Amino acid sequence: MREAWITGIGLLTALGPDRETTWRRLLAGETGIRQLTLFDTAGYRTHLAAQIDDVALRLAGLPRSPGRHVTRASHFALVAAAEALADADLPASGEGRGWALVVGGGTAGLYEAEGFVERRLRGGARTRGLGELVEVPQDSPADRVAHCLALTGPRITITTACSSSTIAVGTAAELVRDGEVEVALAGGSDALCRLTYAGFNSLHAVDPEPAKPFDRRRKGLSLGEGAALLVIEEADHARRRGVRPYARVLGYGVTNDAFHMTQPEPSGAAWERTVRAAIADAGVALSEVGYINGHGTATEQNDSAECAAYLRVFGARLATVPVSSVKGALGHCLCAAGGIEAAITALAIARATLPPTVGFAEADPACDVDAVPGIGRPGTPDVALSSSFAFGGNSSVLVLGRCA
Amino acid sequence: MSAARVYVCSTGCVSSAGTGVAALAQALADPAWRPRLGIERPDAPSLPVATCREFSTRDVLPPLVARRLDRPARLLAVAAREALHPLGDPLPWPRDRVGVCAGTWNAGTSALLEVLRAVFLASPEEAPPAQFPSTVANAPASQLGILEKLGGPNLTFAEKQVGGLRALAEACRHLSHGRADLVLAGAVDEAEWLNAEVYDRLRTLRTSSRPGMVLAEGAAVLALACEPGPAPLAVLAGWGSASAPTAPCRYPTDPAPLVLACRQALQRAGLAPAEVGLVLSVANGIPGLADLERRALETLLGTHRPPVVATTDRLGEGAVGGALRALIAALAVAGTVRAAWEPPPHLAAAGFPAAAARTRSALVPGLAGGGSSVALVLTAP
Repeated sequence: MREAWITGIGLLTALGPDRETTWRRLLAGETGIRQLTLFDTAGYRTHLAAQIDDVALRLAGLPRSPGRHVTRASHFALVAAAEALADADLPASGEGRGWALVVGGGTAGLYEAEGFVERRLRGGARTRGLGELVEVPQDSPADRVAHCLALTGPRITITTACSSSTIAVGTAAELVRDGEVEVALAGGSDALCRLTYAGFNSLHAVDPEPAKPFDRRRKGLSLGEGAALLVIEEADHARRRGVRPYARVLGYGVTNDAFHMTQPEPSGAAWERTVRAAIADAGVALSEVGYINGHGTATEQNDSAECAAYLRVFGARLATVPVSSVKGALGHCLCAAGGIEAAITALAIARATLPPTVGFAEADPACDVDAVPGIGRPGTPDVALSSSFAFGGNSSVLVLGRCA
Repeated sequence: MSAARVYVCSTGCVSSAGTGVAALAQALADPAWRPRLGIERPDAPSLPVATCREFSTRDVLPPLVARRLDRPARLLAVAAREALHPLGDPLPWPRDRVGVCAGTWNAGTSALLEVLRAVFLASPEEAPPAQFPSTVANAPASQLGILEKLGGPNLTFAEKQVGGLRALAEACRHLSHGRADLVLAGAVDEAEWLNAEVYDRLRTLRTSSRPGMVLAEGAAVLALACEPGPAPLAVLAGWGSASAPTAPCRYPTDPAPLVLACRQALQRAGLAPAEVGLVLSVANGIPGLADLERRALETLLGTHRPPVVATTDRLGEGAVGGALRALIAALAVAGTVRAAWEPPPHLAAAGFPAAAARTRSALVPGLAGGGSSVALVLTAP
């Protein structure tokens, strides 16, 4: 049986332009949620987001230049992909190697295209615009990464809203475990834009203050942006190269609650099914699970349904399984969130340190979990879950484990 | 892991030929059939989109249910109900074991335009909350899951022209891994002027002075299962995938990745290139793509010249264009449809004949702008 190892991680978040800065500041309990400056928030109900300020783009050294019209979302993806390959000690060019690329597709170039849409709606058909439209399709970040890194293997873009890149990582690991490829880059990239900012505000799903996952006072999410790309590598391939893995992808589960477009099934029964499917796919025992990186958006409905699901699965043992959410620090990065959280979960396993739930202070009886308040703390999970839930009822859970 | 045998148990579709597989089959039997093209846009001439002009949910969805769904979700739901109907009610599988895999190029654009219209022309506070969930591309698949209470994997693949073929290939993978017993797989695309204008500005849309593609509206669903059921139409016997590193929205010039995807699909199906009985051409009217396809097929097939049918230049391009080709391939190997449409000129000139007799196997290649290739092979059960 082939094993899928995570041998490289690239991260770009509001806490930092790379993996190590993000990890260090996350463990210190810092938050990247602050005043949104990417566009004017006058007229919006809220004004905060976990925005990436410095896109001083470190794109030098890519096998091919992205050209003039690279969008924020593609830019994030390129930075994360290049860091992941370097971290895995793999060449920057995938030419002729057949590496797969599996990406969670988000808003892609919509932030840039919104400028055109506004001018077009106001000014009619004579409105100029071309370059800002090239990356409108949701698979554009994948196309851009594949082009710049000369990737020739399967290229898949999964769009299941907030669980997109969780499924992308699970899919990539399956391609490796099935022997279809030896190496895959997987994760997601998403950028803030007016559509999602206005949309989540219209649903009253955004907290005017920084998000407080699992906290009694929570009033909604904080939007964020970022990217994570993980190198998923066949274990023997990695051993031959002498590379040290962060963790192993043991399996994943994906189901649908068929309940509502924006609200999870409240009893947690559907989410429970996903966790159990993931555990079965991984071939581990529930008793081996020592940490859960939760979806933890900080909306009233999500956090209570999620914790109810874990209680249904683990029963009284849930008290000994810490559950933390990074969304109080990094915001909800939508289609990139699952990839970012898979990366954080892998780092937690490799470095025997559990990331905190930044923003959490007051326990909620509806979310009766050890949310790892304050700062990161030691923890040595052999098996950990990374969990996501999405618009439309899609939930997905990754099972990661320590490499033997 | 060895892949399980995956059967096409039934199909359903909504296309510019009408609602239902029978309407599509009727159009395919008429060599002269062409859709009426056009989508209106503000302040400018209409653009070529093969829309589903006569589409209605009447007799398929209760009015109150249909009203809750946006148009892409209605298209997918109607196609899915047609595919579900022959499988019986109740279904022979628990609904928790039924999944949805849908490709799309542009689902959500109408809702997106409505939200942005409110944001830009009124106020961000005026953004309509009911529209926002429909801006996500997975809304049609999700709404189908909610409508039919389907608890299996519910996945959407946004990969421009190959999204539908990808959805079918990924459905096979999930079935092989036992995550579902039945997957409703295919694609849905909507007609929206903003989309058409983007590709018009990129100069890939057909006009009176320029060759190019026509965009599609519609939905296609193939019900896939590892159990054949009482009357399987076809076996989805193989799939393959490779890519050429090409800038977004540009087509590659190297046919090698398309050839590789086709070879993988044939290998998985256990077929030699000489056993290909029908090719559903990728041709969409873009001249560079025609040349690339000809070179790819000549490399793959050598001197073998199976019949070819081109449907995308009439039914329209998009994720649904690919899924419709796969659906037509399934019907062709089942012997329930015979396409009377001519092969495209670039392949006719290379010696590929028109389809005549029933075939045992069909190759469905796909290529997206940006260079991603997916290919499927369907065979008779």
